[in-house]
Amino acid sequence: MSNGVLHFEDVTVGDTAPVRHHALTRTDLVVYAGASGDFNPMHHDEVKAKEAGQPSVFGHGMFSMGLLGTALTDYVGIGNVRAFGVRFAKQTWPGEDLVTSIVVTSTRIDGDDHLIDLDVSLANADGEQKVVGTATAVLPTRD
Amino acid sequence: MADDELAQLIGTPTGRSVITVERGHVATFATAVTDESPVYRDPRAAAGAGLAGIPAPPTYPFVMENFGRYPELQPDDQPAGNPVVTALGPLLAKGGLILHGEQSFTYHRPVFAGDVLEGTGTVVDAYRKESKGATMTFVVVETVWRERETGDEVCTSRMNVIHRV
Repeated sequence: MSNGVLHFEDVTVGDTAPVRHHALTRTDLVVYAGASGDFNPMHHDEVKAKEAGQPSVFGHGMFSMGLLGTALTDYVGIGNVRAFGVRFAKQTWPGEDLVTSIVVTSTRIDGDDHLIDLDVSLANADGEQKVVGTATAVLPTRD
Repeated sequence: MADDELAQLIGTPTGRSVITVERGHVATFATAVTDESPVYRDPRAAAGAGLAGIPAPPTYPFVMENFGRYPELQPDDQPAGNPVVTALGPLLAKGGLILHGEQSFTYHRPVFAGDVLEGTGTVVDAYRKESKGATMTFVVVETVWRERETGDEVCTSRMNVIHRV
């Protein structure tokens, strides 16, 4: 969390992480292309994307997963994610408002590790699911 | 490619890479995934968060093979040809789309700036499905990243790519 540490004792099934909103721009896609090394023109070249029958450039799936990862680490703490997996359901489009959803589905203790499992997803403002998955994080305890 | 040839891909190596994780690139990647946390940029903030170094964001293992992969670090015994390209290249030549269907990571610890890691990729599944008149070919590649010095596992990346025609 940006303003404090999330402890295992503070988490209850059904808890939700702070929602992260992001209005997707073409600049986001160019920045992500450079930072990831993914120069598939469908993500930055509007002319080629239209030639290929797409209405415009569209987002990298891994940008969506990365945005969701940022919301995830904001909640569980950077360095605490143990597993993170998603299915890419729909393309994202410049101009869409992307909204994260993260819900605690279980809390458990495995040996010395205090773990929480989460459902994670990214949708647009109309509720169309873009990325859907799960995550597991290890949390510190208060003692 | 026939179904039995597709099944034979399972277990074949996709290659090995040794990479160095560079601090500047970690910060650049954090910016690209809209994360402005000082933990990705300032070793004092990382230490304050209880971390042994500047960590990389959770999806960084997907891209790190594209950076810091210097020629002098690479192993000599590379497999000949990439079986994913072997499997999907001829399909793509006939048209259709390659899609990234699913992606997952498991982590033993965060990736840190300064790490020297060796990634070993393997095709762990390959199959074909007919769906709504479309032929979908699935190839799943798992890459295990280990510390080069100790061989300790750091993280595993699992990518499911789909060719749809």
